[in-house]
Amino acid sequence: MSKNIDINVHHVTRVEGHGNIVLDLKKGKIKKLEWQISEAPRFFEAMLCGRKHDELRSITSRICGICSIGHSLASLKATEDALNVEISEQTNILRRLAINAENMQSHILHVGYLAFPDLLKLGSVFPLANSKNKDALLKVVKLHRLANFMSDLVCGRTTHPIRLILGGFTMIPTKKQLLELKKELKSGLETTLELAQFIKNKTDGFPDFKRETEYIGLSSKKEYAFYDGDINSTDTGIFKDYKNYNKFINEYFVPQSTALHAKHSRESYMVGALARFNLNSKQLSNAGKEVANLFNLRAINYNPFMNNIAQLAEYAHNIENSLELIDRLFDNKIKDEKSGDFKIKEGRGVGICEVPRGMLIHDYTLNSKGRCTKANCVIPTNQNHANIQKDMEKLVPEIIDNPKKDIELNLEMLVRAYDPCISCSTHYLDVKFV
Amino acid sequence: MKPKVAFFDFSSCEGCQLQIANLEEEILDLIEIVDVVSFREVMKEHSDEYDIAVVEGSIMRPMDEHRLRKIRSRCKTLVALGACATIGGVNKIRNQWPVEEVKKEVYNDADLKDNKFFNVSQTKAVNEVVPVDYYIHGCPINRDEFKRVITSLALGKEPVIPNYPVCVECKKNENVCLFELGKFCLGPITRAGCGAICPSNGGACDGCRGILSKPDVECVMDLLKRYDLTYEEMKSRCVLYNTGVFNPKDGMTFVRRRKNE
Amino acid sequence: MTKSKSVKIITKKNLKDFVKNLIKDKKYEVVGVKEKGIKFAYGPLENANELRLDYDVTLLPPKKYFLPQIEKLIEYNLEKKFEYKREEKVKSRILIGVHPYDIIALEQTDKLYLDSQEDDYYKKKRENTIIIGSDIEKVNERSFAASMNTHVTDSGFDLLLTNIGGDYAITIGSKKGEKLLIKYAKTKPAKELDIKKIKEKRKKIKLEYTKKLKVPKEDWSKVLVANYDHPLWENRSQKCMECSSCTMVCPTCFCYDVIDDVSLDLKDGNRVRTWDGCLIRDFTKVASGEVFRDDISKRFRHRFYRKGNYLPERYGFVACVGCGRCGIACLPDIADPCDVMNYLSHFEKSDDTDRFFLKQKTDVKEKGTIHIPQSATIKRTEQYTKSEMLFEIELDDKKPLGHIPGQFVEVSIFGVGEAPISVSSGPSNKSTFEIVVRKVGNVTNRLFKMKAGDKLGIRGPFGKGFDVKSFEKKHLLLSAGGIGIVPMRSLIQYVVDEKNRKKYKDITILYGAKQPSEVLFSEEIKEWCKVDNVKCELTVDTCADKDCWTGCTGLITTLYPKIKLDRYDSINTVAVVIGPPIMYRYVIKCLETLGIPHKNIYVSLERRMKCGVGKCGHCQINGVYVCKEGPVFNYDDIKDLPEAFE
Repeated sequence: MSKNIDINVHHVTRVEGHGNIVLDLKKGKIKKLEWQISEAPRFFEAMLCGRKHDELRSITSRICGICSIGHSLASLKATEDALNVEISEQTNILRRLAINAENMQSHILHVGYLAFPDLLKLGSVFPLANSKNKDALLKVVKLHRLANFMSDLVCGRTTHPIRLILGGFTMIPTKKQLLELKKELKSGLETTLELAQFIKNKTDGFPDFKRETEYIGLSSKKEYAFYDGDINSTDTGIFKDYKNYNKFINEYFVPQSTALHAKHSRESYMVGALARFNLNSKQLSNAGKEVANLFNLRAINYNPFMNNIAQLAEYAHNIENSLELIDRLFDNKIKDEKSGDFKIKEGRGVGICEVPRGMLIHDYTLNSKGRCTKANCVIPTNQNHANIQKDMEKLVPEIIDNPKKDIELNLEMLVRAYDPCISCSTHYLDVKFV
Repeated sequence: MKPKVAFFDFSSCEGCQLQIANLEEEILDLIEIVDVVSFREVMKEHSDEYDIAVVEGSIMRPMDEHRLRKIRSRCKTLVALGACATIGGVNKIRNQWPVEEVKKEVYNDADLKDNKFFNVSQTKAVNEVVPVDYYIHGCPINRDEFKRVITSLALGKEPVIPNYPVCVECKKNENVCLFELGKFCLGPITRAGCGAICPSNGGACDGCRGILSKPDVECVMDLLKRYDLTYEEMKSRCVLYNTGVFNPKDGMTFVRRRKNE
Repeated sequence: MTKSKSVKIITKKNLKDFVKNLIKDKKYEVVGVKEKGIKFAYGPLENANELRLDYDVTLLPPKKYFLPQIEKLIEYNLEKKFEYKREEKVKSRILIGVHPYDIIALEQTDKLYLDSQEDDYYKKKRENTIIIGSDIEKVNERSFAASMNTHVTDSGFDLLLTNIGGDYAITIGSKKGEKLLIKYAKTKPAKELDIKKIKEKRKKIKLEYTKKLKVPKEDWSKVLVANYDHPLWENRSQKCMECSSCTMVCPTCFCYDVIDDVSLDLKDGNRVRTWDGCLIRDFTKVASGEVFRDDISKRFRHRFYRKGNYLPERYGFVACVGCGRCGIACLPDIADPCDVMNYLSHFEKSDDTDRFFLKQKTDVKEKGTIHIPQSATIKRTEQYTKSEMLFEIELDDKKPLGHIPGQFVEVSIFGVGEAPISVSSGPSNKSTFEIVVRKVGNVTNRLFKMKAGDKLGIRGPFGKGFDVKSFEKKHLLLSAGGIGIVPMRSLIQYVVDEKNRKKYKDITILYGAKQPSEVLFSEEIKEWCKVDNVKCELTVDTCADKDCWTGCTGLITTLYPKIKLDRYDSINTVAVVIGPPIMYRYVIKCLETLGIPHKNIYVSLERRMKCGVGKCGHCQINGVYVCKEGPVFNYDDIKDLPEAFE
């Protein structure tokens, strides 16, 4: 097929951050196919160096608006690891509620506002407001509001949380507020299942595409891991030596991208909801499993488009998990606590969490005055860029006979399926600062 | 005629645009009163014809300045959204060091000479490149303030942004003053409009909405003594969002000198 | 000696049950003093154990229940031409634990808010709240209430609790309180010994006050009037952070601002009232951008004078109850009135305590309503210049406005706001009146887009106008600078009207505009000159070649040398001056040169008028409310007020 196609999607829409898709097809042969990251680097590492131990969280929160709670928690874990700060069980539970809330908020924003329109062949959610499918939009909005309400309650504010501090919280929700949250969560669970049904019955679903790759994420014996866990890979299994994560993950520079790429045992790997599902699906809650089953999503699934469904399943799981956590808080009698005492000392700490888009690592080195001298972050989306590139390279030949508009849409949908957080991924680069 | 509104983002965490998505049902009201013609984060459609441009993020590279100038030439009204756009925000922290030093440390010897993606200069707020008509401050913005500004623009009236410190809102909220809890809060010199959300949640104000007034020298010295802080520590707090105002290289230029000195 | 009140005794346990019963009765919202972190604050009681009568001082005074931080005044529907509704239902409340100084502060607030122009939002809340006070059990180290004699009170409460050891004494202050006790509490009558214990308790508490005033509050006025220019104000205010915390936490500060909010769908909105503070720079800022009390030392000083001199002279009480909240809240610790007055007590005193008021007390017939505008329709518009437009307005009840020349109205546009605008037409029996508006702010900009048939809201007329009776049998010399011609026109139309013309002698009108394009009412001026013994002199500051202007050029001051008045005439001439602030100084000098005595000169001063009824506090010139005692002033009366002509 001697086809000439020039595709240059500048600043892909409905993704966070700035990325370009470039496809240059000459006489049916791929001359150039690139996933480019053009986001301006913001040099967060420069911002962190020299800062006090108790300022790191609020600065790293600003790496990303959508996963600010995730960055905050990974940052606190790293600092607490460096200074040997213990957290109470109540704090642990509240932080898990926070991470659930953020996961819910980010996933429903992505599935509902960013990916959903593609399934209905729309440019955005806005046209739904005046269509016969307005109900579906209202469900998305309701679930989004639930997630925001929860993270506002636990963290003080969804974007750039206020209540999260070293060793604990500045303020905790009251029993009355938690009871109201429980009520809203229960109602939200019903809505989630209804939305899943709608997507299954009223839309064409996601493309059927498959490329075997490695999936990496956290796993824990106790539960479907988000806040705590060990690094796990579908290829190589559990890796317990978390402080030496850079022996596991290899980041490297590519010229078409201001963000680094990463690899482990293959040329690329994937992190995120689908990866977590592939590693830990047995530990999903009942509702989570119900959503997965509705779409025949079983581990191991090699279709990156199914990341969207994995996110929806995780949303349902987060709700059920949160209901359990709130009950635990009531059992232990929620009360005001003072954050644990600790001594400022030299040290290095690593904090790892699963945030909506995948495994996030913060690594800080503090000097004897508690000031940061070296910082590194491994961002989930960084770890996905290489996988996106490889997926594109497999996908294009499979759809090369389709009209140009279709190829373009499919490439965009592929990128969107990963739910990339491009601003985050350009901010962390390994640096020593003088 | 509904005004046409377009949203743009530069170097930021996009948290401020997220607040607009977080309007939830009210976003349907928003699209009733204005015509959203471009909002990359949530819609595919884009138009180059708009009356109001809402810009988030700081400006870091010549290619960004170029894009911003194009936006300014196409719109009648430009609104800077969020601390990165209004005052430079956290992005300005790295302005303490020269650009070449920072680039070398980060990318070492990678050949970036003609790569326009990496051609980074000192961080600038939007008004350091083009004139700005209205500012929506904060990191992130306050949704209510955003709604007030947009409805004012849709009604053809000037939005009112508070010209008084956070303390006014904090006291109205009946918060226990954080100074009494041993924390050093920048509320007394920071612009209000956020509802004192951080102090209301137990966190000291970091000045993300911009410094309103220069505090008096002796007053600051007294406070530092009372709360056992050094001048260096205070400057370090101020640098978080207000590096533009509190250049750490200078001496005591960010405080008001006495009249009889 | 006040009539002795009936006193009952209640055990601690029964007191708790009393509170429990009150909470159970869903009719009331029961509010009491509770812990808030390391401090105390009023809040709804969920159970009787939360009540802490042993507190020293709350973060905010109970004023938040009567003048809330944010209060919805009017809810308007923007899809209709003029439709609004106001919240009619008020919650019944019981406040438990109110200290005597806060009770006294509420009584002071009553004097201001329940005067002849009652604020019925405040009134309804006061009527629907039962006050269960409590004698002080613990003294805050910053409080000096004992020196102010506000640590005890025998009025202003429905019930008053005193801890007398094992039990509590309850002094009954009203029938409402008595009924409550009968219904919900198990009490027994107090014995002689119990009454003695109450007295002892109060004596004991007085001794616990460590902060003491060196000058009794009765002398605050005398100290303050003598020390207006003391370097203390400049020195202390240098540390001021302009955060206005002092006014926010104060039980006797009750200035407010009114803002119009609109919902995101633009269909409706609320006019809300919110706390404002005189320490905030924009407190005195008008739409044109001018700030009438800009310097921080002047704002700092103003607060003390308002509390220690202006309000005492006007109402008879010192508007400070020594609670100590401002001392606690002020970070640089400069706000404490006890410290300030103790320092000033070393200096002079003066008996001239009404120095900052007008010498002549005025008898203002108050007409306008507070808060709620009446609906009116624009009958006609006429654009004079690119920034000035005339509106002929008729109240929808078709009655004449009933104004005096020199008065103003508050023009209200729902969703945009309110603006004070002088009435520009003379009083008449016509159902319409005219205003001329300059486009400077939100309301005036919106007005410009309106046309005949559109509706707006009118409150007023407000203020003291020209005392035209006292002008009779005199010559009139009327000087208008720039936009001053607009309010002047209401006076001119009145005096040149054939019904009134004979009452006055010669009338001279001097009008100076910036440029020919800014001259207003040029046709009308010609008509005025046609009237018997009416002379008009026009001048413009500058004139470009392209303007066809055949009149004079030069500042308005150049017109005065043309006027010939002999000694008899000059003391029988009334001069009226209205113009931009800078004009007054120069024109008054010209009038002095003509031999016109100060008591014959009248000026009209602009300030930030908001409520129009002397409550919001924005328009003050020292102790004078421009909206009530002005905007028309006799120059002799006001010339010595420091803030009048700065």
